Amino acid sequence: MTIRILGPNLINQIAAGEVVERPASAVKELVENSIDADARRIDIVVTDGGRVALSVADDGHGMDAGDLALAVQRHATSKLPGDDLENIHTLGFRGEALPSIGSVARLTVTSRTADADSAWKINVEGGAVSGPEPAAHPPGTRVEVRDLFYATPARLKFLKAPQTERNHVVDAVRRLAMAHPGIAFSLSEGERQILKLPPAQGDLLSARLDRLDAIMGNDFGANALPIEAAREGIKLTGHIGLPTLNRGNAQMQFLFVNGRPVRDKLLQGAVRAAYRDFLAHDRHPLLALFLEIPPQAVDVNSHPAKTEVRFRDPGLVRGLIVGALKHALAEAGHRASTTVGSAALGAMRPADMPRTGFLPRQPAGSGVPPSMAGNTALAGNTALAETAHGFHRPLDQADHGSHVTTPSAPEAAYQADDDGHYPLGAARAQLHETYIVAQTDEGIVIVDQHAAHERLVYEDMKKALAGGGIQRQALLIPEVVELDEAAAERILARTQELTELGLAVEAFGTGAVVVRETPALLGEIDAAGLIRDLADDLAEYDTTLSLESRLADVCSTMACHGSVRAGRRLNAPEMNALLRQMEATPHSGQCNHGRPTYVELRLADIERLFGRR
Amino acid sequence: MKITIERGQLLKVLTHVQSVVERRNTIPILSNVKFEAPDGQLSLNATDMDIEIVETVDADVAAPGSTTAPAHTMFDIVRKLPEGAQIELDCTGDDGQLTLTSGRSRFSLTCLPTEDFPVMADGDMPHSFSVSAGDLRTLIDRTRFAISTEETRYYLNGIYLHESERDGVAVLRAVATDGHRLASVELPLPDGAAGMPGVIVPRKTVAELRKLIDETESETGVQVALSDTKIRFTFDGAVLSSKLIDGTFPDYDRVIPAGNDKSMVVDCRTFADAVDRVSAISSEKSRAVKLAVSKGNLVLSANSPENDSATEELPIGYESSDIEIGFNSRYLLDITQQIDGESATFMMADAASPTLVQDPEDTSALYVLMPMRV
Ligand SMILES: Nc1ncnc2c1ncn2[C@@H]1O[C@H](COP(=O)(O)OP(=O)(O)O)[C@@H](O)[C@H]1O
Ligand SMILES: [Mg+2]
Repeated sequence: MTIRILGPNLINQIAAGEVVERPASAVKELVENSIDADARRIDIVVTDGGRVALSVADDGHGMDAGDLALAVQRHATSKLPGDDLENIHTLGFRGEALPSIGSVARLTVTSRTADADSAWKINVEGGAVSGPEPAAHPPGTRVEVRDLFYATPARLKFLKAPQTERNHVVDAVRRLAMAHPGIAFSLSEGERQILKLPPAQGDLLSARLDRLDAIMGNDFGANALPIEAAREGIKLTGHIGLPTLNRGNAQMQFLFVNGRPVRDKLLQGAVRAAYRDFLAHDRHPLLALFLEIPPQAVDVNSHPAKTEVRFRDPGLVRGLIVGALKHALAEAGHRASTTVGSAALGAMRPADMPRTGFLPRQPAGSGVPPSMAGNTALAGNTALAETAHGFHRPLDQADHGSHVTTPSAPEAAYQADDDGHYPLGAARAQLHETYIVAQTDEGIVIVDQHAAHERLVYEDMKKALAGGGIQRQALLIPEVVELDEAAAERILARTQELTELGLAVEAFGTGAVVVRETPALLGEIDAAGLIRDLADDLAEYDTTLSLESRLADVCSTMACHGSVRAGRRLNAPEMNALLRQMEATPHSGQCNHGRPTYVELRLADIERLFGRR
Repeated sequence: MKITIERGQLLKVLTHVQSVVERRNTIPILSNVKFEAPDGQLSLNATDMDIEIVETVDADVAAPGSTTAPAHTMFDIVRKLPEGAQIELDCTGDDGQLTLTSGRSRFSLTCLPTEDFPVMADGDMPHSFSVSAGDLRTLIDRTRFAISTEETRYYLNGIYLHESERDGVAVLRAVATDGHRLASVELPLPDGAAGMPGVIVPRKTVAELRKLIDETESETGVQVALSDTKIRFTFDGAVLSSKLIDGTFPDYDRVIPAGNDKSMVVDCRTFADAVDRVSAISSEKSRAVKLAVSKGNLVLSANSPENDSATEELPIGYESSDIEIGFNSRYLLDITQQIDGESATFMMADAASPTLVQDPEDTSALYVLMPMRV
């Protein structure tokens, strides 16, 4: 065996394997460099998803000829002045990106400092440097990467379809753009502009919300709750979407640590825990969270691509996130997302309505020609219009509804006491024995009576369970569950907590536990499966999520059956009682399945429907 | 094949065979029932690959032959035909259809070839014995309620039928448990059963078997044949074969408490009614009732999570020291329902250990119940 020292190009190629995995990682490194160089705008262009070529141009402070020559050398960086890995305030610091890219692709860096009157350019092809030589370029830096991985065919083979690579690039740019709302970003492929983000103005929080809204879409801005919390020197800010704004995957969940986009399982677990009561487990909220942690409390050096971080105290970070999110959601209380309201509005607005149907400035109720009565969308619209009209006239005078059926109009005996001074207003009617229509100060509220009542019952039940303890069924044949040693230890460290949740476990030799009692509520269960899930939960998220959520599931199924079904006629006092209970109950804005329990239409929206605005 | 048969006759057999056929099938022919008409008889055969049922009835056979047709559809049609109607089944045409004619109704159903119909290889069944339908019913009814539905513990998803002995007498014993309670009942070992392997009869087989028993006189003998992997029950005109659950039934003997010395005797009906009433307080699925037992007196109580409560007192026979113990009320009701006699004996040790329940008049059956921790 002969040991030899590897040549510098080989070393760079090996490093490239870690730093540059695909076009998106090259883009990420280059954009980070631009951000570190205090750029105000960054323009990214890719060809063929970045497989053929990609370039990043910025208006940052640039480099002179000497810096350029050094920049493409390994471990050359301007960002660790104090030789202190514990005190990193820039995105880059390893001095690896440019030389790595240069070793596996054709790299050209053109740069000019603000005070220089000409630019310099340097070329690296498969590790061979040529230049610097004079060039023409405005102040700032432009880095071009062509034929990525041409020098390492083995890697080239692993590149995915252009479409896939492009999606990764978009994702990388999005993340960086969220963390730096003050910087303008553009990303295009050929003629196609994929992202165009103007610099967001204002203080950090509002600038950020603008940027998040621009990136996440879906009306995120209007349906986001601000987050601000701190604990032991760690600061958490950001925005989270209302639970009613949700989607089928967790792709719109972003975590940033000291301005650096990271992917961490901790986020997923914490989000799941915080939203558990509001969302079905296959639905995911939209959110972006920004942690500021003293550099000493987090290790960003655990992976060359710097997308993973290691917290000194993950429990603390998780606790901070879960706590802050739960708090914000609780504060939001019964607020359902306006997206739902406007979606409803959109649905009600008859799409193919003849223009003459709506005569501007006509009283709402009379603007509808009777010939349209067969149109169901319109019928809904009309009924609503009737209710809306009620704003302007006392109820007893609202006799104009004769040509529309207003089912179950409140009895005359019912006088709306404190009319409209409750957030959810005063019940005015029940439609189709399913929906309660209430009048509020600012508009109307339509409540899904079944969903709402179900939520109330569920919250009650949870309280009762928490108060009375969970009953345990002893097992005739205790179940021995084989686990690995670490998993068994994790379970056994939590026996007290598990017993409170109805699960009694004991040690059984090394690497196994024996289950003696299970939560009676769950009936006959696969105890071994549950224990394994719990062991995973504890490893991943440090909580007994599986068990809690199963219990919550049972509660909500039972809640569902014990609730006022759709189709039951309610009288006015009953409807109002339901509204008052909803106001008093936290989280009553969504049912247990994450659907809204009510939607709100503002008067302004209704006026818009009728062309009054 | 061309035959004529009376509606009632056909309906009876179709009822049995169609219930074996799964509602959703990925293999089309498994949705079908096979008709075979040799001379003067019609036999129907259905299978889900685990259970097979073959039933034979008399029929007027004009042309012998065989075919297969959709089981649930056939059942549905025959069920809706008027009582006493004569039904003609004809698949002699060459369009591959089975024509069902009755009065003015006429149905044409798509057939699949008989050759494709799966045959369950019976294999060698070295053990066989006969039990009366009534005894078989007892074995099933006394244990069935305790069969586990938890699929991961598949070996509990059936009734464990095996040879054992008690006080030196050989018995055939049936045991079922879901891990919360256990039921065991035994009969004197039938001739020919000695040396049989212990087998676990799957829940679905138990259900089908029970239907056949329902239509059989108690005294009539049912022929049971079995191997390590299969069991076959032969009735008059019907044969039910089934695979057995391939697993080891736990050593249940160890969980049957022997030394429980706190013995409570209750009037079975009075007790059950009181449990039922008291548990009405809670809407929960797992309704716990607490038994506070003292000399001659039992106080039953229950609470709901909303803090409602109920109590009821009843006189009992009890001479030991006071004990408080909780049970799932549904389990208590399940067990008391199995007891035909007037009273039931509860043998308890403490609030955390298994309790033994028996009919003092009939010790062939016993029930073990784990308490609930409340
Ligand atoms: N867009 C840029 N503008 C100004 N300087 C840059 C730019 N890109 C790279 N540099 C300089 O090149 C050095 C090497 O970059 P890189 O290899 O990415 O390592 P790192 O970012 O870890 O320092 C940086 O430290 C910086 O001084
Ligand atoms: Mg860098």
